[in-house]
Amino acid sequence: MRFGLFLKPLMYLDPGSGSFIIQMLLAGLLGIAVAIRIYWKKIVAFFRKGKTGDVQDQLDELDEYGGTNGIKSEKKDE
Amino acid sequence: MTDSYQFASFRDPSGFLFYKDGTLYRQVNQSYREHYDHLMKSGLYEALVSQGLMVHHAEIDDVEAVNKDLAYRVIQPEKVNFISYPYEWCFHELRSAALITLRLARTALDHGMILKDASAYNLQFVGGRWQLIDTLSFEIYKEGEPWVAYKQFCQHFLAPLALMAYRDPRLNLMSRLFIDGIPLDITADLLPARTKLRFGLMTHIHLHARTQKRYAGKEVRREDVKGKVSQRSLVGLLDSLRNTVKGLTIRTSGTEWADYYQETNYSESAFEQKKAIVKRYIERVQPSGVWDLGANTGEFSRLASDAGIFTVAFDVDPGAVSRNYIQARKNHEGNILPLVMDLANPSPGLGWGHRERESLVDRGPVSMVLALALVHHLAISNNVPLGKLAQFLSEISEYLVIEFVPKSDSQVQRLLRSREDIFDRYTVSGFEADFQVYFEILEQTPVPGSERILYLMKAKKR
Repeated sequence: MRFGLFLKPLMYLDPGSGSFIIQMLLAGLLGIAVAIRIYWKKIVAFFRKGKTGDVQDQLDELDEYGGTNGIKSEKKDE
Repeated sequence: MTDSYQFASFRDPSGFLFYKDGTLYRQVNQSYREHYDHLMKSGLYEALVSQGLMVHHAEIDDVEAVNKDLAYRVIQPEKVNFISYPYEWCFHELRSAALITLRLARTALDHGMILKDASAYNLQFVGGRWQLIDTLSFEIYKEGEPWVAYKQFCQHFLAPLALMAYRDPRLNLMSRLFIDGIPLDITADLLPARTKLRFGLMTHIHLHARTQKRYAGKEVRREDVKGKVSQRSLVGLLDSLRNTVKGLTIRTSGTEWADYYQETNYSESAFEQKKAIVKRYIERVQPSGVWDLGANTGEFSRLASDAGIFTVAFDVDPGAVSRNYIQARKNHEGNILPLVMDLANPSPGLGWGHRERESLVDRGPVSMVLALALVHHLAISNNVPLGKLAQFLSEISEYLVIEFVPKSDSQVQRLLRSREDIFDRYTVSGFEADFQVYFEILEQTPVPGSERILYLMKAKKR
Protein backbone atom coordinates (compact mmCIF):
# COMPACT_ATOMS: atom_id res chain seq x y z
CA MET A 1 0.00 0.00 0.00
CA ARG A 2 1.39 3.37 -0.92
CA PHE A 3 -0.48 6.40 0.21
CA GLY A 4 2.56 8.57 0.02
CA LEU A 5 0.72 11.84 -0.15
CA PHE A 6 -1.64 10.94 2.65
CA LEU A 7 0.58 9.18 5.11
CA LYS A 8 2.35 11.47 7.48
CA PRO A 9 4.68 10.40 10.23
CA LEU A 10 1.95 11.07 12.76
CA MET A 11 -0.51 8.69 11.17
CA TYR A 12 -0.13 5.76 13.53
CA LEU A 13 -3.45 4.15 12.75
CA ASP A 14 -3.75 1.96 9.71
CA PRO A 15 -6.59 3.68 7.96
CA GLY A 16 -6.95 0.89 5.40
CA SER A 17 -6.84 1.58 1.68
CA GLY A 18 -10.39 0.33 1.17
CA SER A 19 -11.62 2.78 3.81
CA PHE A 20 -9.92 5.63 1.95
CA ILE A 21 -11.17 4.65 -1.45
CA ILE A 22 -14.79 4.32 -0.37
CA GLN A 23 -14.63 7.87 1.01
CA MET A 24 -13.46 9.14 -2.36
CA LEU A 25 -16.20 7.21 -4.11
CA LEU A 26 -18.77 8.70 -1.77
CA ALA A 27 -17.21 12.17 -1.63
CA GLY A 28 -19.15 13.73 -4.48
CA LEU A 29 -22.46 12.35 -3.32
CA LEU A 30 -21.99 13.37 0.30
CA GLY A 31 -20.81 16.83 -0.72
CA ILE A 32 -23.93 17.34 -2.80
CA ALA A 33 -26.07 16.14 0.12
CA VAL A 34 -24.54 18.82 2.34
CA ALA A 35 -25.20 21.51 -0.26
CA ILE A 36 -28.80 20.41 -0.65
CA ARG A 37 -29.26 20.38 3.11
CA ILE A 38 -27.93 23.93 3.42
CA TYR A 39 -30.36 25.21 0.78
CA TRP A 40 -33.20 23.19 2.19
CA LYS A 41 -32.60 24.74 5.59
CA LYS A 42 -32.68 28.20 4.01
CA ILE A 43 -35.98 27.43 2.29
CA VAL A 44 -37.46 26.05 5.50
CA ALA A 45 -36.13 29.02 7.46
CA PHE A 46 -37.75 31.41 4.94
CA PHE A 47 -41.17 29.88 5.45
CA ARG A 48 -40.78 29.55 9.19
CA LYS A 49 -39.70 33.14 9.63
CA GLY A 50 -40.75 34.54 12.98
CA LYS A 51 -41.08 31.17 14.64
CA THR A 52 -38.62 30.98 17.49
CA GLY A 53 -36.45 28.03 18.37
CA ASP A 54 -36.24 24.92 16.25
CA VAL A 55 -37.32 22.08 18.53
CA GLN A 56 -35.56 19.49 16.44
CA ASP A 57 -32.31 21.42 16.68
CA GLN A 58 -32.61 21.59 20.44
CA LEU A 59 -33.28 17.87 20.70
CA ASP A 60 -30.35 17.11 18.41
CA GLU A 61 -28.23 19.23 20.66
CA LEU A 62 -29.31 17.17 23.66
CA ASP A 63 -28.50 13.99 21.74
CA GLU A 64 -24.96 15.04 21.17
CA TYR A 65 -24.57 15.50 24.87
CA GLY A 66 -25.70 11.95 25.41
CA GLY A 67 -29.35 12.77 25.84
CA THR A 68 -32.23 10.34 25.97
CA ASN A 69 -31.63 9.27 22.42
CA GLY A 70 -32.87 6.20 20.65
CA ILE A 71 -35.68 5.47 23.05
CA LYS A 72 -38.48 3.68 21.30
CA SER A 73 -40.71 2.97 24.25
CA GLU A 74 -43.02 5.33 26.09
CA LYS A 75 -42.57 8.98 25.32
CA LYS A 76 -40.64 9.52 22.18
CA ASP A 77 -38.51 12.60 22.40
CA GLU A 78 -38.45 13.44 18.72
CA MET B 1 1.58 2.39 41.51
CA THR B 2 3.57 5.57 42.07
CA ASP B 3 5.94 6.21 39.17
CA SER B 4 5.21 4.25 36.05
CA TYR B 5 3.96 4.32 32.51
CA GLN B 6 0.27 3.81 32.10
CA PHE B 7 0.20 0.43 30.39
CA ALA B 8 -2.56 1.08 27.84
CA SER B 9 -0.91 4.23 26.54
CA PHE B 10 1.62 3.17 23.93
CA ARG B 11 0.12 3.28 20.44
CA ASP B 12 0.21 6.98 19.73
CA PRO B 13 3.66 8.50 19.18
CA SER B 14 2.23 11.94 20.03
CA GLY B 15 2.60 11.28 23.73
CA PHE B 16 1.68 8.94 26.58
CA LEU B 17 0.30 8.76 30.08
CA PHE B 18 2.43 8.23 33.15
CA TYR B 19 2.03 8.21 36.91
CA LYS B 20 4.16 10.25 39.25
CA ASP B 21 3.55 10.11 43.00
CA GLY B 22 0.18 8.56 42.28
CA THR B 23 -0.98 11.37 39.99
CA LEU B 24 -1.71 10.81 36.31
CA TYR B 25 0.09 13.02 33.79
CA ARG B 26 0.36 13.06 30.03
CA GLN B 27 3.61 13.76 28.22
CA VAL B 28 3.14 15.62 24.93
CA ASN B 29 5.97 14.87 22.53
CA GLN B 30 7.87 17.34 20.33
CA SER B 31 6.53 15.52 17.27
CA TYR B 32 3.04 16.65 18.24
CA ARG B 33 4.03 20.21 19.13
CA GLU B 34 2.54 21.93 16.09
CA HIS B 35 -0.77 20.13 16.55
CA TYR B 36 -0.90 20.72 20.30
CA ASP B 37 -0.28 24.44 19.84
CA HIS B 38 -2.97 24.61 17.20
CA LEU B 39 -5.41 22.83 19.50
CA MET B 40 -4.75 25.32 22.28
CA LYS B 41 -4.57 28.49 20.16
CA SER B 42 -7.27 27.90 17.56
CA GLY B 43 -10.04 27.99 20.15
CA LEU B 44 -10.76 24.28 19.68
CA TYR B 45 -9.67 23.30 23.19
CA GLU B 46 -11.80 26.08 24.64
CA ALA B 47 -14.80 25.07 22.53
CA LEU B 48 -14.57 21.39 23.43
CA VAL B 49 -14.04 21.88 27.15
CA SER B 50 -16.74 24.53 27.51
CA GLN B 51 -19.26 22.27 25.77
CA GLY B 52 -18.32 19.32 27.96
CA LEU B 53 -17.03 17.28 25.04
CA MET B 54 -13.48 16.83 26.30
CA VAL B 55 -11.87 16.73 29.74
CA HIS B 56 -9.87 19.78 30.72
CA HIS B 57 -6.19 19.68 31.56
CA ALA B 58 -3.58 21.86 33.19
CA GLU B 59 -0.11 22.51 31.78
CA ILE B 60 2.37 21.49 34.45
CA ASP B 61 5.82 23.02 34.72
CA ASP B 62 7.18 21.47 37.89
CA VAL B 63 6.82 17.80 36.92
CA GLU B 64 9.65 16.40 34.85
CA ALA B 65 8.83 14.57 31.66
CA VAL B 66 9.61 10.87 31.65
CA ASN B 67 11.36 10.98 28.33
CA LYS B 68 12.99 14.40 28.22
CA ASP B 69 14.48 14.09 24.73
CA LEU B 70 11.05 13.65 23.21
CA ALA B 71 9.02 15.83 25.50
CA TYR B 72 7.38 19.10 24.59
CA ARG B 73 5.08 19.51 27.57
CA VAL B 74 3.62 17.74 30.56
CA ILE B 75 -0.08 18.15 31.17
CA GLN B 76 -2.33 16.93 33.96
CA PRO B 77 -5.72 15.74 32.72
CA GLU B 78 -8.96 15.90 34.68
CA LYS B 79 -9.50 12.83 36.84
CA VAL B 80 -11.80 10.06 35.66
CA ASN B 81 -13.65 8.27 38.47
CA PHE B 82 -13.96 4.90 36.81
CA ILE B 83 -12.59 3.67 33.50
CA SER B 84 -15.23 1.66 31.66
CA TYR B 85 -15.00 -0.10 28.33
CA PRO B 86 -17.33 -0.24 25.31
CA TYR B 87 -18.13 -3.93 25.90
CA GLU B 88 -19.55 -2.88 29.26
CA TRP B 89 -21.79 -0.17 27.80
CA CYS B 90 -25.42 -0.66 26.95
CA PHE B 91 -26.76 0.31 23.52
CA HIS B 92 -27.74 3.80 24.61
CA GLU B 93 -24.36 4.52 26.16
CA LEU B 94 -22.51 3.44 23.03
CA ARG B 95 -24.93 5.45 20.90
CA SER B 96 -24.34 8.59 22.98
CA ALA B 97 -20.58 8.08 22.79
CA ALA B 98 -20.82 7.65 19.00
CA LEU B 99 -22.75 10.90 18.55
CA ILE B 100 -20.27 12.72 20.75
CA THR B 101 -17.35 11.35 18.74
CA LEU B 102 -18.95 12.72 15.56
CA ARG B 103 -19.57 16.03 17.23
CA LEU B 104 -15.93 16.15 18.29
CA ALA B 105 -14.89 15.52 14.68
CA ARG B 106 -17.27 18.20 13.42
CA THR B 107 -16.14 20.78 15.98
CA ALA B 108 -12.51 20.04 15.16
CA LEU B 109 -13.15 20.64 11.47
CA ASP B 110 -14.62 24.04 12.26
CA HIS B 111 -11.28 24.91 13.89
CA GLY B 112 -9.03 23.57 11.15
CA MET B 113 -8.29 20.25 12.81
CA ILE B 114 -9.38 16.68 12.33
CA LEU B 115 -10.11 13.89 14.80
CA LYS B 116 -7.38 11.42 13.93
CA ASP B 117 -8.54 8.79 16.36
CA ALA B 118 -12.13 7.57 16.74
CA SER B 119 -11.53 4.90 19.36
CA ALA B 120 -14.47 4.22 21.66
CA TYR B 121 -11.93 3.65 24.44
CA ASN B 122 -11.07 7.35 24.29
CA LEU B 123 -14.47 8.27 25.66
CA GLN B 124 -15.21 8.04 29.34
CA PHE B 125 -18.07 9.01 31.60
CA VAL B 126 -17.04 12.23 33.35
CA GLY B 127 -19.43 14.62 35.07
CA GLY B 128 -22.52 12.84 33.80
CA ARG B 129 -21.62 12.71 30.11
CA TRP B 130 -19.29 11.00 27.70
CA GLN B 131 -16.15 13.03 27.17
CA LEU B 132 -12.98 12.62 25.17
CA ILE B 133 -10.12 11.85 27.52
CA ASP B 134 -7.31 11.76 24.95
CA THR B 135 -6.20 15.34 24.41
CA LEU B 136 -3.84 14.28 21.62
CA SER B 137 -6.59 12.99 19.31
CA PHE B 138 -6.49 15.92 16.89
CA GLU B 139 -4.21 16.94 14.09
CA ILE B 140 -4.13 19.87 11.70
CA TYR B 141 -6.56 19.31 8.84
CA LYS B 142 -5.31 19.34 5.27
CA GLU B 143 -7.94 20.01 2.63
CA GLY B 144 -8.52 17.09 0.29
CA GLU B 145 -7.63 14.29 2.63
CA PRO B 146 -10.05 11.55 3.63
CA TRP B 147 -10.92 10.92 7.27
CA VAL B 148 -8.18 8.73 8.66
CA ALA B 149 -10.38 7.47 11.52
CA TYR B 150 -13.35 6.50 9.32
CA LYS B 151 -12.62 2.78 9.48
CA GLN B 152 -12.09 2.97 13.23
CA PHE B 153 -15.36 4.81 13.79
CA CYS B 154 -17.27 2.20 11.80
CA GLN B 155 -15.62 -0.68 13.67
CA HIS B 156 -15.82 0.81 17.16
CA PHE B 157 -19.27 2.34 17.00
CA LEU B 158 -21.38 1.69 13.94
CA ALA B 159 -20.77 -2.07 13.74
CA PRO B 160 -21.67 -2.91 17.37
CA LEU B 161 -24.60 -0.48 17.35
CA ALA B 162 -26.04 -2.00 14.18
CA LEU B 163 -25.57 -5.53 15.50
CA MET B 164 -27.24 -4.62 18.78
CA ALA B 165 -30.12 -2.84 17.07
CA TYR B 166 -30.75 -5.47 14.38
CA ARG B 167 -29.74 -8.67 16.15
CA ASP B 168 -29.35 -8.60 19.93
CA PRO B 169 -28.27 -6.03 22.55
CA ARG B 170 -25.98 -8.64 24.11
CA LEU B 171 -23.75 -8.39 21.05
CA ASN B 172 -22.00 -5.48 22.74
CA LEU B 173 -19.83 -8.31 24.07
CA MET B 174 -18.34 -8.79 20.61
CA SER B 175 -16.25 -5.68 21.26
CA ARG B 176 -14.53 -7.77 23.91
CA LEU B 177 -13.30 -10.20 21.25
CA PHE B 178 -11.99 -7.58 18.84
CA ILE B 179 -9.90 -4.99 20.63
CA ASP B 180 -9.91 -2.56 17.68
CA GLY B 181 -13.62 -2.80 16.98
CA ILE B 182 -15.71 -5.40 15.19
CA PRO B 183 -14.38 -6.10 11.67
CA LEU B 184 -16.79 -4.87 9.03
CA ASP B 185 -16.82 -8.08 6.99
CA ILE B 186 -18.09 -10.06 10.00
CA THR B 187 -20.58 -7.31 10.77
CA ALA B 188 -21.88 -7.33 7.19
CA ASP B 189 -22.30 -11.11 7.30
CA LEU B 190 -24.13 -11.04 10.62
CA LEU B 191 -26.54 -8.21 9.82
CA PRO B 192 -29.87 -9.11 8.20
CA ALA B 193 -30.15 -8.44 4.45
CA ARG B 194 -32.73 -5.70 5.03
CA THR B 195 -29.98 -3.47 6.43
CA LYS B 196 -28.80 -3.10 2.82
CA LEU B 197 -31.93 -1.09 2.16
CA ARG B 198 -30.76 1.63 4.50
CA PHE B 199 -28.39 4.07 2.85
CA GLY B 200 -26.13 4.54 5.86
CA LEU B 201 -25.69 0.88 6.70
CA MET B 202 -25.44 -0.05 3.02
CA THR B 203 -22.55 2.34 2.46
CA HIS B 204 -20.71 2.53 5.79
CA ILE B 205 -20.93 -1.19 6.59
CA HIS B 206 -21.75 -3.33 3.54
CA LEU B 207 -20.07 -1.36 0.76
CA HIS B 208 -17.25 -0.38 3.09
CA ALA B 209 -16.59 -4.05 3.92
CA ARG B 210 -16.56 -4.97 0.23
CA THR B 211 -14.20 -2.15 -0.69
CA GLN B 212 -11.89 -3.20 2.13
CA LYS B 213 -11.90 -6.76 0.86
CA ARG B 214 -11.29 -5.67 -2.71
CA TYR B 215 -8.26 -3.55 -1.84
CA ALA B 216 -6.92 -5.70 0.98
CA GLY B 217 -3.20 -6.27 0.53
CA LYS B 218 -3.21 -4.48 -2.82
CA GLU B 219 -0.81 -1.74 -3.57
CA VAL B 220 -2.80 1.38 -4.25
CA ARG B 221 -0.85 4.23 -5.73
CA ARG B 222 -1.81 7.80 -5.12
CA GLU B 223 -1.73 8.65 -8.78
CA ASP B 224 -4.23 5.87 -9.46
CA VAL B 225 -6.68 7.47 -7.10
CA LYS B 226 -7.87 10.67 -8.69
CA GLY B 227 -10.42 11.63 -6.10
CA LYS B 228 -10.10 14.04 -3.26
CA VAL B 229 -12.32 14.45 -0.28
CA SER B 230 -13.20 18.10 0.05
CA GLN B 231 -14.04 19.61 3.40
CA ARG B 232 -17.68 19.76 2.35
CA SER B 233 -17.62 16.05 1.53
CA LEU B 234 -16.04 15.35 4.89
CA VAL B 235 -18.85 17.25 6.59
CA GLY B 236 -21.23 15.18 4.49
CA LEU B 237 -19.55 11.99 5.64
CA LEU B 238 -19.84 13.00 9.29
CA ASP B 239 -23.47 14.03 8.79
CA SER B 240 -24.24 10.75 7.09
CA LEU B 241 -22.65 8.76 9.92
CA ARG B 242 -24.60 10.84 12.40
CA ASN B 243 -27.89 10.17 10.61
CA THR B 244 -27.05 6.47 10.47
CA VAL B 245 -26.35 6.33 14.20
CA LYS B 246 -29.48 8.33 14.98
CA GLY B 247 -31.51 5.93 12.88
CA LEU B 248 -30.57 3.01 15.10
CA THR B 249 -32.94 2.28 17.97
CA ILE B 250 -33.64 -0.48 20.43
CA ARG B 251 -36.49 -1.42 22.73
CA THR B 252 -35.83 -1.23 26.45
CA SER B 253 -39.04 -2.68 27.84
CA GLY B 254 -39.90 -6.31 28.45
CA THR B 255 -36.52 -7.60 29.57
CA GLU B 256 -35.87 -10.29 32.12
CA TRP B 257 -34.86 -8.08 35.01
CA ALA B 258 -36.23 -4.70 34.21
CA ASP B 259 -39.63 -5.70 35.59
CA TYR B 260 -38.09 -7.39 38.61
CA TYR B 261 -39.29 -4.94 41.19
CA GLN B 262 -42.87 -5.30 40.03
CA GLU B 263 -42.68 -9.07 40.38
CA THR B 264 -40.90 -9.63 43.68
CA ASN B 265 -42.74 -10.69 46.76
CA TYR B 266 -41.71 -7.60 48.63
CA SER B 267 -44.38 -5.51 50.14
CA GLU B 268 -44.06 -1.81 49.48
CA SER B 269 -43.11 -1.19 53.11
CA ALA B 270 -40.47 -3.97 53.24
CA PHE B 271 -38.86 -2.43 50.16
CA GLU B 272 -38.84 1.02 51.75
CA GLN B 273 -37.42 -0.37 54.99
CA LYS B 274 -34.68 -2.19 53.13
CA LYS B 275 -33.82 1.11 51.48
CA ALA B 276 -33.68 2.84 54.86
CA ILE B 277 -31.29 0.24 56.26
CA VAL B 278 -28.94 0.42 53.24
CA LYS B 279 -29.03 4.20 53.44
CA ARG B 280 -28.07 4.08 57.10
CA TYR B 281 -25.12 1.75 56.35
CA ILE B 282 -23.92 4.12 53.61
CA GLU B 283 -24.17 7.08 55.96
CA ARG B 284 -22.25 5.21 58.63
CA VAL B 285 -19.32 4.32 56.35
CA GLN B 286 -19.39 7.40 54.07
CA PRO B 287 -17.62 5.57 51.25
CA SER B 288 -15.62 7.44 48.60
CA GLY B 289 -17.08 5.27 45.86
CA VAL B 290 -19.64 2.50 45.47
CA TRP B 291 -20.08 -0.46 43.14
CA ASP B 292 -23.60 -1.79 43.13
CA LEU B 293 -23.47 -5.40 41.91
CA GLY B 294 -26.72 -6.62 40.40
CA ALA B 295 -28.04 -3.07 40.42
CA ASN B 296 -30.97 -3.67 38.07
CA THR B 297 -32.28 -0.21 37.18
CA GLY B 298 -30.32 1.45 39.99
CA GLU B 299 -32.96 1.86 42.67
CA PHE B 300 -30.44 1.21 45.46
CA SER B 301 -27.45 2.70 43.62
CA ARG B 302 -29.19 6.04 43.89
CA LEU B 303 -29.08 5.92 47.67
CA ALA B 304 -25.34 6.44 47.23
CA SER B 305 -25.19 8.52 44.04
CA ASP B 306 -27.86 10.94 45.25
CA ALA B 307 -25.66 11.51 48.30
CA GLY B 308 -22.86 12.67 45.99
CA ILE B 309 -20.94 9.37 45.97
CA PHE B 310 -19.76 8.19 42.55
CA THR B 311 -21.54 4.89 41.98
CA VAL B 312 -21.10 2.26 39.28
CA ALA B 313 -24.30 0.25 38.83
CA PHE B 314 -23.53 -3.13 37.29
CA ASP B 315 -26.13 -5.48 35.90
CA VAL B 316 -26.08 -8.47 33.59
CA ASP B 317 -29.20 -7.38 31.71
CA PRO B 318 -28.54 -4.77 28.98
CA GLY B 319 -32.21 -3.75 29.08
CA ALA B 320 -32.06 -2.88 32.79
CA VAL B 321 -28.78 -1.01 32.23
CA SER B 322 -30.34 0.96 29.36
CA ARG B 323 -33.29 1.95 31.50
CA ASN B 324 -30.99 2.98 34.30
CA TYR B 325 -28.87 5.06 31.92
CA ILE B 326 -31.88 6.76 30.32
CA GLN B 327 -33.23 7.67 33.75
CA ALA B 328 -29.84 9.07 34.76
CA ARG B 329 -29.64 11.15 31.56
CA LYS B 330 -33.18 12.45 31.90
CA ASN B 331 -32.53 13.60 35.45
CA HIS B 332 -29.02 14.92 34.67
CA GLU B 333 -27.45 12.66 37.28
CA GLY B 334 -23.68 12.90 37.20
CA ASN B 335 -22.74 10.37 39.87
CA ILE B 336 -24.14 7.15 38.50
CA LEU B 337 -22.61 5.03 35.74
CA PRO B 338 -24.70 2.00 34.73
CA LEU B 339 -22.69 -0.82 33.13
CA VAL B 340 -23.37 -4.27 31.73
CA MET B 341 -21.46 -6.93 33.67
CA ASP B 342 -21.93 -10.65 34.17
CA LEU B 343 -20.49 -11.30 37.61
CA ALA B 344 -20.15 -14.99 36.82
CA ASN B 345 -17.79 -13.96 34.02
CA PRO B 346 -16.60 -10.39 34.68
CA SER B 347 -14.47 -8.34 32.28
CA PRO B 348 -10.98 -9.85 32.03
CA GLY B 349 -7.67 -8.10 31.37
CA LEU B 350 -7.44 -7.70 27.60
CA GLY B 351 -5.14 -6.56 24.84
CA TRP B 352 -1.37 -6.37 24.84
CA GLY B 353 0.12 -8.24 27.79
CA HIS B 354 -3.44 -8.67 29.17
CA ARG B 355 -3.05 -5.17 30.54
CA GLU B 356 -4.30 -2.76 27.92
CA ARG B 357 -7.84 -3.05 29.25
CA GLU B 358 -8.06 -3.79 32.94
CA SER B 359 -10.10 -6.54 34.49
CA LEU B 360 -12.87 -5.57 36.88
CA VAL B 361 -10.80 -6.67 39.88
CA ASP B 362 -7.83 -4.56 38.72
CA ARG B 363 -10.06 -1.49 38.69
CA GLY B 364 -10.82 -2.01 42.39
CA PRO B 365 -10.92 -2.25 45.28
CA VAL B 366 -13.73 0.21 45.78
CA SER B 367 -14.67 1.79 49.08
CA MET B 368 -18.03 0.02 49.27
CA VAL B 369 -19.77 -2.80 47.43
CA LEU B 370 -23.53 -3.30 47.50
CA ALA B 371 -24.61 -6.90 46.93
CA LEU B 372 -28.35 -6.82 47.38
CA ALA B 373 -30.59 -9.72 46.33
CA LEU B 374 -27.53 -11.18 44.65
CA VAL B 375 -26.16 -14.00 46.79
CA HIS B 376 -28.82 -16.53 45.81
CA HIS B 377 -28.28 -15.91 42.11
CA LEU B 378 -24.56 -16.55 42.31
CA ALA B 379 -24.68 -19.30 44.95
CA ILE B 380 -27.64 -21.26 43.64
CA SER B 381 -28.03 -20.47 39.92
CA ASN B 382 -24.29 -20.44 39.33
CA ASN B 383 -23.16 -22.94 42.01
CA VAL B 384 -20.55 -20.55 43.49
CA PRO B 385 -19.67 -21.76 47.01
CA LEU B 386 -20.29 -19.05 49.62
CA GLY B 387 -16.61 -19.07 50.66
CA LYS B 388 -15.49 -18.32 47.12
CA LEU B 389 -18.08 -15.57 46.83
CA ALA B 390 -16.82 -14.03 50.09
CA GLN B 391 -13.23 -14.21 48.84
CA PHE B 392 -14.09 -12.48 45.55
CA LEU B 393 -16.07 -9.74 47.26
CA SER B 394 -13.23 -9.13 49.73
CA GLU B 395 -10.85 -8.60 46.80
CA ILE B 396 -12.93 -5.77 45.36
CA SER B 397 -14.26 -3.98 48.44
CA GLU B 398 -13.31 -2.36 51.70
CA TYR B 399 -16.84 -2.34 53.02
CA LEU B 400 -19.61 -4.66 51.94
CA VAL B 401 -23.36 -4.31 52.27
CA ILE B 402 -24.78 -7.73 51.53
CA GLU B 403 -28.23 -9.25 51.74
CA PHE B 404 -28.70 -12.88 52.66
CA VAL B 405 -31.77 -14.41 51.05
CA PRO B 406 -32.67 -17.69 52.84
CA LYS B 407 -33.97 -20.81 51.14
CA SER B 408 -37.45 -20.18 52.48
CA ASP B 409 -37.70 -17.00 50.39
CA SER B 410 -39.95 -17.41 47.38
CA GLN B 411 -37.23 -16.09 45.02
CA VAL B 412 -34.87 -18.86 46.14
CA GLN B 413 -37.67 -21.42 45.97
CA ARG B 414 -38.21 -20.37 42.38
CA LEU B 415 -34.54 -21.01 41.58
CA LEU B 416 -34.64 -24.41 43.34
CA ARG B 417 -37.81 -25.54 41.64
CA SER B 418 -36.04 -26.64 38.50
CA ARG B 419 -32.99 -28.25 40.07
CA GLU B 420 -31.72 -30.51 42.81
CA ASP B 421 -30.99 -28.80 46.14
CA ILE B 422 -27.30 -29.51 46.68
CA PHE B 423 -26.77 -26.48 48.89
CA ASP B 424 -26.57 -27.79 52.46
CA ARG B 425 -24.35 -24.93 53.53
CA TYR B 426 -26.74 -22.28 52.26
CA THR B 427 -28.02 -21.24 55.71
CA VAL B 428 -27.63 -18.10 57.83
CA SER B 429 -24.98 -19.77 60.01
CA GLY B 430 -23.13 -21.23 56.98
CA PHE B 431 -23.21 -17.85 55.28
CA GLU B 432 -21.90 -15.99 58.33
CA ALA B 433 -19.15 -18.55 58.99
CA ASP B 434 -17.88 -18.41 55.39
CA PHE B 435 -17.97 -14.64 55.19
CA GLN B 436 -16.25 -14.16 58.55
CA VAL B 437 -13.11 -15.71 57.10
CA TYR B 438 -12.73 -12.64 54.90
CA PHE B 439 -14.90 -10.03 56.59
CA GLU B 440 -15.67 -8.63 59.98
CA ILE B 441 -19.41 -8.28 60.49
CA LEU B 442 -20.08 -4.76 61.78
CA GLU B 443 -23.85 -4.83 61.80
CA GLN B 444 -26.73 -7.07 60.81
CA THR B 445 -30.36 -6.06 60.41
CA PRO B 446 -33.32 -8.27 59.51
CA VAL B 447 -35.44 -6.74 56.77
CA PRO B 448 -38.90 -6.33 58.36
CA GLY B 449 -41.68 -8.09 56.51
CA SER B 450 -39.33 -10.66 54.97
CA GLU B 451 -36.93 -13.39 56.03
CA ARG B 452 -33.94 -11.65 54.56
CA ILE B 453 -31.02 -10.19 56.53
CA LEU B 454 -28.83 -7.23 55.64
CA TYR B 455 -25.20 -7.14 56.77
CA LEU B 456 -22.60 -4.41 56.91
CA MET B 457 -19.13 -5.92 56.75
CA LYS B 458 -15.54 -4.72 56.63
CA ALA B 459 -12.93 -6.65 54.67
CA LYS B 460 -10.12 -8.09 56.81
CA LYS B 461 -6.65 -6.80 55.92
CA ARG B 462 -4.75 -9.43 53.99
